[in-house]
Amino acid sequence: MNEDDKMTDQALSSLKSLRSVQPSPEAKKLALNAAMVAFDAAQAGQKKAAAAKPAGWLSRWKLGAGLGVPAATAVAALVLLPIGSQMVATNNPIDTLPPVGGDDVTIAATETPVEQPALRVEKTDSDVNLQTLSTVAPETTKPAPVEQPKMAAETGANAPDEAEAMSDAIVTLPEAAPAPMGRVTMRQAAPSATADMSGAGYAATQPLYVEGDTFKSFDENRVKITSEERVSTFSIDVDTASYTYVRSLLEDGYLPDPDAVRLEELINYFPYDYAAPTSADTPFSASMTVIPTPWNPKTELLQIGIKGYVPPADERQPQNLTFLIDTSGSMDEPNKLPLLKRSFGLLVDQLQDDDTVSIVVYAGSAGVVLEPTKASRRTTILKALDNLYAGGSTAGAEGIALAYQLAEENKLENGNNRVILATDGDFNVGMDDPEDLKTYIKTQRDKGIFLSVIGFGRGNLDDALMQSLAQNGNGNASYIDSFREAQKVLVTEGGANMVTIAKDVKIQVEFNPALVAEYRLIGYETRALNREDFNNDAVDAGEIGAGHTVTALYEITPVGSGGELNDPLRYGSAPQANEIAADDELGFLKMRYKAPLGDTSKLIEMPIGRDLVLDDAMKAGDDPRFAAAVAAFGQKLKGSAYGETITWQQITDLANGAKGADVDGYRAEFVQLVGLAALLSPDHSAGGRSKFDDPTLPQNRNLGAPQPVN
Amino acid sequence: MDGSLVLTPQSEISVRSAATERNNSLVERAKSGDRLAFSQLIEANYDFIFRTACKWTGKKSDAEDIAQEVCIKLATAIQSFDGRSAFTSWLYRVTINMVRDMQRSSMRKNKTIDAFTLVHPEDDPGGQEEATTAREIWERVNALPDKQREAIMLVYAEDMNHAEAAQIMGCKEATVSWHIHEAKKTLRGLL
Repeated sequence: MNEDDKMTDQALSSLKSLRSVQPSPEAKKLALNAAMVAFDAAQAGQKKAAAAKPAGWLSRWKLGAGLGVPAATAVAALVLLPIGSQMVATNNPIDTLPPVGGDDVTIAATETPVEQPALRVEKTDSDVNLQTLSTVAPETTKPAPVEQPKMAAETGANAPDEAEAMSDAIVTLPEAAPAPMGRVTMRQAAPSATADMSGAGYAATQPLYVEGDTFKSFDENRVKITSEERVSTFSIDVDTASYTYVRSLLEDGYLPDPDAVRLEELINYFPYDYAAPTSADTPFSASMTVIPTPWNPKTELLQIGIKGYVPPADERQPQNLTFLIDTSGSMDEPNKLPLLKRSFGLLVDQLQDDDTVSIVVYAGSAGVVLEPTKASRRTTILKALDNLYAGGSTAGAEGIALAYQLAEENKLENGNNRVILATDGDFNVGMDDPEDLKTYIKTQRDKGIFLSVIGFGRGNLDDALMQSLAQNGNGNASYIDSFREAQKVLVTEGGANMVTIAKDVKIQVEFNPALVAEYRLIGYETRALNREDFNNDAVDAGEIGAGHTVTALYEITPVGSGGELNDPLRYGSAPQANEIAADDELGFLKMRYKAPLGDTSKLIEMPIGRDLVLDDAMKAGDDPRFAAAVAAFGQKLKGSAYGETITWQQITDLANGAKGADVDGYRAEFVQLVGLAALLSPDHSAGGRSKFDDPTLPQNRNLGAPQPVN
Repeated sequence: MDGSLVLTPQSEISVRSAATERNNSLVERAKSGDRLAFSQLIEANYDFIFRTACKWTGKKSDAEDIAQEVCIKLATAIQSFDGRSAFTSWLYRVTINMVRDMQRSSMRKNKTIDAFTLVHPEDDPGGQEEATTAREIWERVNALPDKQREAIMLVYAEDMNHAEAAQIMGCKEATVSWHIHEAKKTLRGLL
């Protein structure tokens, strides 16, 4: 521990001396009373649930003569209930509700009948009354009334014209149910029900954010003035985890944390049709286009597309793969270990007979599950995968050391030696200090064993650590949320993700101040390099796999366009010594890379000619426009300072017009995501209030999503 | 601090186990619907909830609100307590989650400075300065991202080891260490 650390430590330990004041007896009394009211309500609900259980799916509800509550009151009471319950109700076959008011009408739920009671509505001539409330909600701790009124409320909503008829209806109690519970009890239950559903009882609306996953925070790239900072340097990034994560959140109706949205990973998720290099001598090639920026008429968008060389099938490297699999208790969820097994099964199917697979697990059952096995013995491998189960505490075994040891023992000189770490976020792989872990992975990387990281599940994902481990291990980080995604990561892009064709790929662009007044790199914030790092081979950078495409976008402001964000300086700058007068070049592109096992870098360079500039985006192919749409989407989603003016509709139109062949349907799926984002964070022009309008949220992030209590 | 409320390893095990046993039996009875048991459980743990909330919010009125919400929540949440962790660690988690939810919804987190009510044991002039320092540190820590703040508060303010903090935060020990590490990196030079 160094001096600084000690001071921090010492300072922090003074926290111990803080003491809280005494609670006031009044507050305590109030809290106790409130708790008891809630307890009674919960108990009442539970008893009902338990009592109703034997009645099974045949339990019936009857609205009928009894307490003499007028219909208007009954409806008002129902409206008090949480909106969430109605959303749940969409699972019920309510749509098939026939007109209420006929003679006995019975509607039976078609699926999971135990949870979805049959609803029997009877017409009587008695007065309008709400007599009772009951439900069949077996195995639930929620107060019963939450479940039940949704049916009634839904009935009302679906048949507004039948209001009269409905008010005539009766709900019968299940035979086994206890005495009717009146409206008063239901009202008492309502607050605690709300508290239960929102997780807090404070949040008035449904939360838009989930929590538990951690992301490295970063500031968006700012506009740079070309004459002040001509050179922009960054490392390439082929990861796509951010897109998958964002997609899975949006599909569940949540907005991602701005830090979870990494623009370059969104853009790079999609395959682009760039020209591939023809020989292995140049592992990748770059193609460039300049189109008008969709979100700013005064600027242009420079697109640099890089495509990795695809070795012919007979030059395929033999594979030595070691799966390092997290089997801790937290992996015991359908979208974690079970999905992982099926995903890795896919991967195993791709292997050639000579390839080798080993499996190491870490958690309570730490150890080697499968000794290095040739892929020809596929059934053995698949069986070993299948036998994995999640459970046990974290033994903190030397999982990672074990995995590397197996990989080392079996190392192929000219093959792909790789450890594939699959986890839901806990890296308790035997080394407590993340820094130690990174150093260890680096050492192994230098020995020729690379690391790829695949994330599963949500709620515990340590995205930042995942990213940095994969970066240190010359691998990539992916996130698998569905079988479809597994197919993309492990099969479609399997070659790219498993075979590194160039490492430490760095990009440096020098802009010409005579033509470009300002520029801004879109994304790559977490991959920025210093100018001097470009020529320094000791500085690590991103890897590119077989057939990978990488896209970088710069928003550039041409001189004299009027789109500059900065005023010109009063005093001119001294001319640079080796300045060349070039008015046909926007800038100059330099790329450095190393061969997968090499130590010295090679340089590829090319000018960014003015002739690349297209005055109409439609003249460009689909790819630049689609990439622009994805960038616009990402910027809007994270509340970027740039490009917030574009509407979701404009993004949708732009993407729709640039889908191209879209063989795998990724682009069509993207258009749907834009639609979801528009619903969750509506445009101002559409009359919606987005999260950015809320003055009570200084950071506009991490709104409280319910955290399970246990 | 009350021995029953701090998660201490081995040394205080006998002190703790009596309270733990009492809590556990109350929980069991409350779960099966025993009204009295539930009220005793709340009675016995209210101070712990309040004090935790107070340490985390630095404001008495907020802590009282939170404590009340936790008590209400326990009426239903008690059913989900399965005894895998100690009741107090579980209660800790419920309380911290509630603190977080409340701060999210009302963004009171940044407005606590004027109403800071945590006190320092020494009231003599010498201790005054120390109290001010502790308060400043608390404010720095309070500005950290949630997970880091939780880790720091549990380990430093509550004097737990990483394993105990991990149990409360519902993550692994290594993750706690990582959060602490990250937090220190941020705090370095600021304290």
